[in-house]
Amino acid sequence: MTSTVPVPPPVAEAPAGAAPTSLTPTGRGLWRRARWYLAFLAAVLIGATAVAALGQDHSYPPLDPRSYDRDGAHAVVALLERQGLKSEFTTDPTRSPAAPDTLVLPEPDLLSPAQLRAVAAARHRRLVLIAPGPAALTALAPGIRLSEDDGGLPYASVRSTPADCSLPEAVRAGSAHLGGTLYTSGSRGDGCYPRSHGYPLVRIPVGDGDVIVLGSGTFLRNEQLTQDGDASLALGLLGSQPRLTWHLPDYSAPLAENARPRTFTDFIPSDWHWAGYQLAVAAVLAALWRGRRLGPVVAEDLPVVVRASETTEGRARLYRRAKARGRAAEALRRAAAHRLAPALGVPLRSGAPDPDALCAAAADRLPDQPAGDVRALLYGPPPTDDAALLRLADDLDALERQVRNP
Amino acid sequence: MALTGRTALLAALGALVVGLLLPSAAGIWLVTGAVLLAVVADLVLAAPVRSLRFGRGGDTTVRLGEPATVELTVTNPSGRPLRALVRDAWAPSAWRPGTAEAASRHTLTVPGGERRRAVTVLTPTRRGDHRSHRVTVRSLGPLGLAARQGSHLVPWTVRALPPFASRKHLPSRLARLRELDGRTSVLTRGQGTEFDSLREYLPGDDVRSIDWRASARRTTVAVRTWRPERDRHILVVLDTGRTSAGRVGDAPRLDASLDAALLLTALATRAGDRVDLLAHDARKRTAVAGCSAHEVLPAFTDAMADLEPALHETDMRSLVSTALKMAPHRSLIVLLTGLDAAPVEDGLRPLLPLLTKRHEVVLASVADPRLDALAAGRGTLEAVYGAAAAEQTRADRRATADRLTRHGVTVLDAPPAQIAPALADTYLALKAAGRL
Repeated sequence: MTSTVPVPPPVAEAPAGAAPTSLTPTGRGLWRRARWYLAFLAAVLIGATAVAALGQDHSYPPLDPRSYDRDGAHAVVALLERQGLKSEFTTDPTRSPAAPDTLVLPEPDLLSPAQLRAVAAARHRRLVLIAPGPAALTALAPGIRLSEDDGGLPYASVRSTPADCSLPEAVRAGSAHLGGTLYTSGSRGDGCYPRSHGYPLVRIPVGDGDVIVLGSGTFLRNEQLTQDGDASLALGLLGSQPRLTWHLPDYSAPLAENARPRTFTDFIPSDWHWAGYQLAVAAVLAALWRGRRLGPVVAEDLPVVVRASETTEGRARLYRRAKARGRAAEALRRAAAHRLAPALGVPLRSGAPDPDALCAAAADRLPDQPAGDVRALLYGPPPTDDAALLRLADDLDALERQVRNP
Repeated sequence: MALTGRTALLAALGALVVGLLLPSAAGIWLVTGAVLLAVVADLVLAAPVRSLRFGRGGDTTVRLGEPATVELTVTNPSGRPLRALVRDAWAPSAWRPGTAEAASRHTLTVPGGERRRAVTVLTPTRRGDHRSHRVTVRSLGPLGLAARQGSHLVPWTVRALPPFASRKHLPSRLARLRELDGRTSVLTRGQGTEFDSLREYLPGDDVRSIDWRASARRTTVAVRTWRPERDRHILVVLDTGRTSAGRVGDAPRLDASLDAALLLTALATRAGDRVDLLAHDARKRTAVAGCSAHEVLPAFTDAMADLEPALHETDMRSLVSTALKMAPHRSLIVLLTGLDAAPVEDGLRPLLPLLTKRHEVVLASVADPRLDALAAGRGTLEAVYGAAAAEQTRADRRATADRLTRHGVTVLDAPPAQIAPALADTYLALKAAGRL
């Protein structure tokens, strides 16, 4: 297809005033075309930066002691501080306390086994665990288990529940909003607020302090404190010691260090990952190479395709949908008669042969076929079912064959 | 600008350098920087695309289905040699299917100050004008790492003419024409025949053609011979309305009609008749009138090249009045239209007396072979209902044709492959009968 032929040498230079055929925009043209888009883009960027700078909007996870949101826990901490408690927030729960204190762990399951062991060894006077799982229970509150008997889920909805136990804080608070995960109290534990088959609050003495296991921290939320005995219970549970340490869980931490599967990158010698980055650069260049087209796609208006037989096929579907056996049989019979007439020498009158003449001629040609049969076939009543219609079509074909080759 | 595979390969090989010698971010910056520097150098050294000059030449018309060659001349006025990949872009229907990619691309090397020619071979698959789109040049740098790319508009038009596939039928029809033409006199007399000569009576001649006066003057019995009149007028009217858009096989009805019109034109021109053309749907699309014998066929093919079926109803009143204006004297009017009941009954039939009063009218319609296939369907319920519908359609067409025949119109209803020879035969029969 492609052939290049050198044209015999020097040719007259293209005329100086030849109309430029190039479609590539010049730098000035590009700037003229793009400047309003660039201005718009700059305005959007400036606006976005301004909005981001003005409205510093932090959002905290639930039960964060710094959060003023409905599900935050700033209110209870503020109430405790007003009563003279010292509170601090930490991201490292393993530090040993300098003085007797209360440690709140909102997400004990996020701690690694090593951290759990360190917390257990740190000898906090009181440990408050919110919805701990089996691993945290084993490490920090031995003897307490998830209440899983009866095959029921160890879970109950949060609602106002009477205390029904001897724990002084619970007795003082009366009923409170408790629920969530349910626990057994074990042999030494003290279960409160009993629900169907377990306790959403269990206190267990450990060493010279105690551990409070809570099924849910809902009653500590800002929105919840004003209701029932929630505030009293919260202040009682968290305010028993002069210091309060609140753990701020690291939600982005991997679940458990030793559980992490070894990934592909662990098998690459160190330093060679830089070669990987260089390969990524090469991949970007390859994408640029393959992505550049040699000119745009050429579009073309194509004519509409309408099949000429479309109306006939549509009519066939209509016949079938309407079960128009009579009409279909009539069309087939008329066509057969029209084809038979010239073969039998019967003249056509206004497009159709005379029935009597046609039947008589057919009877003459086919002496072994009763004349009544031909008439019934060509001019009989319409078929009553689909099978009769199919039979009629085949019989008409057979009749035509016999007439042509008797 | 454009990159080549070499750039990516170079960057990939750079991974070895980074991995073995400089495993750090600095190493990546160093290698990538070196690659980019080479790309920029290549871009600077490549021959400029914007200043290239182009010229065109080659075929401007081609019969549909045959190849056309179009030349593209590239002049490189800069001092640097141009190593380029050139794409000569045309619409998809200008290429033989599947070859567009290969046929449109040329690899050119043009030394500075010289020019080269690239030959593009087009094989149009659609009738009508094919315009060149744009010429895109990718000018590679000396290292082959990067290229400057730009497009130029170098206009050229190739007109794809109707294929005239039925010209294979022409020799046999010309032989038949010679039999009835002056070279072979006939003994039957009709309206369109003129007196040719007297000759001696031979046994077997019709006794009615004996010229008794001439016989009286000589010693033998003389008979008159006649020949068909020459210099008759034929008007071919193409209906390009919606009925011509229906696809029969894989081409619209109009294409078969054009083919039939071309064979008739070629034959009638050889027979010494004048042929005019009118294409009409809602308005007059094209008309060719008053061409001399040797230029009528090229004029017709050219006029037919960009005829496309319109998707609206034909205005028969306007069509008939235009046709009458183009045929002031007795003519053969060949109407290439459809035989569908509704448009013919409502549009054409009331106007037919206007045409048949003074003119001989032939109506040729392209039949659909798919109808025959449908009508032969047996065995399943769907096939039998299809057969019934096809028979109904055929009966309707027959009824319409019968009604037209009663108006004195000669009606042809033939599938696409046979419509052209059938029309030519009808013309010859009318000519032999002296009805022109």
